[in-house]
Amino acid sequence: MSNQKKKHFQIEAFKHKVVMDPKYPDKTWKILEDAIHEIYNHNASGLSFEELYRNAYNMVLHKFGERLYSGLVATMTVHLKDIAQSIEAAQGGSFLEELNRKWNDHNKALQMIRDILMYMDRTYVPSARKTPVHELGLNLWRENVIYSSQIRTRLLNTLLELIHSERTGEVIDRGIMRNITKMLMDLGPSVYEHEFEKHFTNVSAEFYQVESQRFIECCDCGDYLKKAERRLNEEMDRVSHYLDPETEKKINKVVEEQMIENHMLRLIHMENSGLVNMLCDDKYEDLGRMYTLFRRVTDGLLKIREVMTSHIRESGKQLVTDPERLKDPVEFVQRLLDEKDKYDKIINLPFNNDKSFQNALNSSFEYFINLNPRSPEFISLFVDDKLRKGLKGVNEDDVEVTLDKVMMLFRYLQEKDVFEKYYKQHLAKRLLSGKTVSDDAERSLIVKLKTECGYQFTSKLEGMFTDMKTSQDTMQGFYASHPDLGDGPTLTVQVLTTGSWPTQSSITCNLPAEISALCEKFRSYYLGTHTGRRLSWQTNMGFADLKATFGKGQKHELNVSTYQMCVLMLFNNADKLSYKEIEQATEIPAPDLKRCLQSLALVKGRNVLRKEPMSKDVVEDDAFFVNDKFSSKLYKVKIGTVVAQKESEPEKQETRQRVEEDRKPQIEAAIVRIMKSRKQLDHNNLIAEVTKQLQSRFLANPTEVKKRIESLIERDFLERDDNDRKLYRYLA
Amino acid sequence: MRRGSSKKSGQSNPSVNSSAADLFRSASSKANSKELERIDSLFYTYANGSSGLIDPEGIEALCADIEVDHTDLRILMLAWKMKAEEQGYFTLDEWRRGLKALRADTVSKLKKALPDLEKEVRRPSNFSDFYSYAFQYCLTEEKQKSIDIESICELLTLVLGSTFPTQVNLFVEYLKNQNDYKVVNMDQWMGFFRFCNEISFPSLSDYDPELAWPLVLDNFVEWLREKQK
Repeated sequence: MSNQKKKHFQIEAFKHKVVMDPKYPDKTWKILEDAIHEIYNHNASGLSFEELYRNAYNMVLHKFGERLYSGLVATMTVHLKDIAQSIEAAQGGSFLEELNRKWNDHNKALQMIRDILMYMDRTYVPSARKTPVHELGLNLWRENVIYSSQIRTRLLNTLLELIHSERTGEVIDRGIMRNITKMLMDLGPSVYEHEFEKHFTNVSAEFYQVESQRFIECCDCGDYLKKAERRLNEEMDRVSHYLDPETEKKINKVVEEQMIENHMLRLIHMENSGLVNMLCDDKYEDLGRMYTLFRRVTDGLLKIREVMTSHIRESGKQLVTDPERLKDPVEFVQRLLDEKDKYDKIINLPFNNDKSFQNALNSSFEYFINLNPRSPEFISLFVDDKLRKGLKGVNEDDVEVTLDKVMMLFRYLQEKDVFEKYYKQHLAKRLLSGKTVSDDAERSLIVKLKTECGYQFTSKLEGMFTDMKTSQDTMQGFYASHPDLGDGPTLTVQVLTTGSWPTQSSITCNLPAEISALCEKFRSYYLGTHTGRRLSWQTNMGFADLKATFGKGQKHELNVSTYQMCVLMLFNNADKLSYKEIEQATEIPAPDLKRCLQSLALVKGRNVLRKEPMSKDVVEDDAFFVNDKFSSKLYKVKIGTVVAQKESEPEKQETRQRVEEDRKPQIEAAIVRIMKSRKQLDHNNLIAEVTKQLQSRFLANPTEVKKRIESLIERDFLERDDNDRKLYRYLA
Repeated sequence: MRRGSSKKSGQSNPSVNSSAADLFRSASSKANSKELERIDSLFYTYANGSSGLIDPEGIEALCADIEVDHTDLRILMLAWKMKAEEQGYFTLDEWRRGLKALRADTVSKLKKALPDLEKEVRRPSNFSDFYSYAFQYCLTEEKQKSIDIESICELLTLVLGSTFPTQVNLFVEYLKNQNDYKVVNMDQWMGFFRFCNEISFPSLSDYDPELAWPLVLDNFVEWLREKQK
């Protein structure tokens, strides 16, 4: 108010006391009560908000808040009881609709009432610590409507029935469901939970228990999983449409438990459609579904992994012990690679590249590959085949892919030193016969082996390559310094460093004179530039190209082994030769000679010699002639081959023995190394350390290690402690 | 003891008592030298004139005199006492060492000393040493480290036969029947002794092949268990 100069009128206080009308609160409350009635009767339009607000405001101001509040409670309660009755009276399907409608009405009314009573809400309510109007409205609704004995159970049952029908395929009014559940949630989180959710999950559990039992009796695994997946999706859909989001994980758990967890093993092991069948038939979709579903439950993936592992081990074991399969080593290894590819794909796609599955696969392969002691040999033969012809014309990248796959199998081998032995043998044959498809491929594989096993593993192999290269240079030098030899037979010598190449016994035979002379020239040339070395001819490993003219003038070029050359050259000076004469002249050892003559006389298409009598075997009394009638479509005829073959039983024993012998010094070296650094160590720890050190080459046998320890004790490298028999000490 | 006291008395009354001590010393040393003399002469009764050693023949003669068979264990014990190095031969030093320790300068005294010698050897503190000595004594060649099975069996029976008859018999049977080992070395020899002492027989319950028993014993136990079935 502005301070005006008092001019004409004054404002004065009341001259008499203001006495409150005793009926004031009742009158005012009556106004408001009526208003509430109207509001509930949908007659709010005739009311004046401003007037009502003012009345409420005044009541509070004049300290009649209590009256106002309790009046509100009473009035609302009466109305709500009415409402409850009308809802109870609703029949069948209209029950929910009625409830929903009344709820909406109530909310609208509540809002209006709250607006009217806002002053009370803001002042009286907090100071008197009463429930605010809105909340009060909800509570009263809850107590009088929801918890009404007639409504409570009926509401729950109605909801559950509707959900059940939806589950059985019927269409329901989702909108109303939404509203009802929202109502429950609005009334308080525990209301939703206790009035609905709790029962919902229990009933669902029962439902799915029954359903899963039914399905499992009549469906195969793939179908069952599809159904389970569908149900899970349905439930998620349901939640998103008309349930509280929090319900999602609870209902998921129910479905997962009932449909998946309870039947896990039965599903996996189902005959004709279970996990093993899926694996065998590459059913990626089914496998993927199983993986995704089982991942949701505890130990689901574990069970899958277990069964998969035992299946791979079992089928792998059968594969490597099946005598039919073992007849062709290359096929055998190819089959292993195919298996690995198959499972790699399965783990990659449907199993989501899961590392634990990859590990299970690796350990299974390692297990069964090593069940067959010939695996190292066979893998080497496979490589040999590829490097001889298999990779011919294949582009570089594909070559790398193949070699990498071989390396992967190699890694599974426990006896890598056995592989090394065979690989050396096969490589030697390839190099010496010039039969490798690609030098780059060879070297690439050596590099891979080196990366895997270290320099020691491949140093000898590399030595072999070096020898080949050096020999080339030597030959160039030889011919450069002997220009007079241009007309004679062309000699190619490979000088092999003993120790790098697989051990061979050097039995020499008698070479034809021209060759022998040439060889001598080479020998003196070589020793002239490399004093202090010794050369010995390996006549069992060489080959020769001969030009031959037969009886009817047919000319051929024959590719033969050195032994075969020696035999054939004899026929330049004789028409007929007996076995004994050939033996004497060539000094080829008997078993080799027999084989050699067999290949020259008894193989169709290659029979450049004729034998009398025409029997199948070569015996000492046989006589040999040049086969003048020899014919071949090809000009160049290949007779001797030095192809790597699967070893015969005695050869295999011999190789195995050599490997065992080679292992002894390696074990001893490891023992000495360890003891030298530790000075003293007890028995069990020593064995463990030795095994670990040798792991990359082979699996050390504890008994063998013990033997080596005892041998070292005998030779005074180690001693036993006097007091503690288990302790060994290093003797410097 | 005497010497100590005589030293004291030597200080107070040097002239009189020192001569007594000297007398005694000379007497005892006379006795000593007499003993030594007898020991030496005993040696030469058995020794080979040209080699100056007692050789196998001489030992046999000795054995006859002390009425002990030359394959008897007590001869080995005697060798142990002498610390004799070469099987079948005793040197003068070794002879002196042994007989002096036994306080025997005659054949009869030697014979009488044998039971005590046996007791001494069988004392646990000595027996282990004796046992290993027995092995070394049988190594006749230079740089020889092991003994052939046949001899080992005999030696084992001789040395341990009375103490552990069951184990020894079985082990000998095993050794004769197996093919893996043609010889036995010191480590294995000692191992067997420890085996007899530590492992309960015939149950073998506390034998653990994980421990560092020599491999030959692992195989022996396996053989035994097979047999027991």
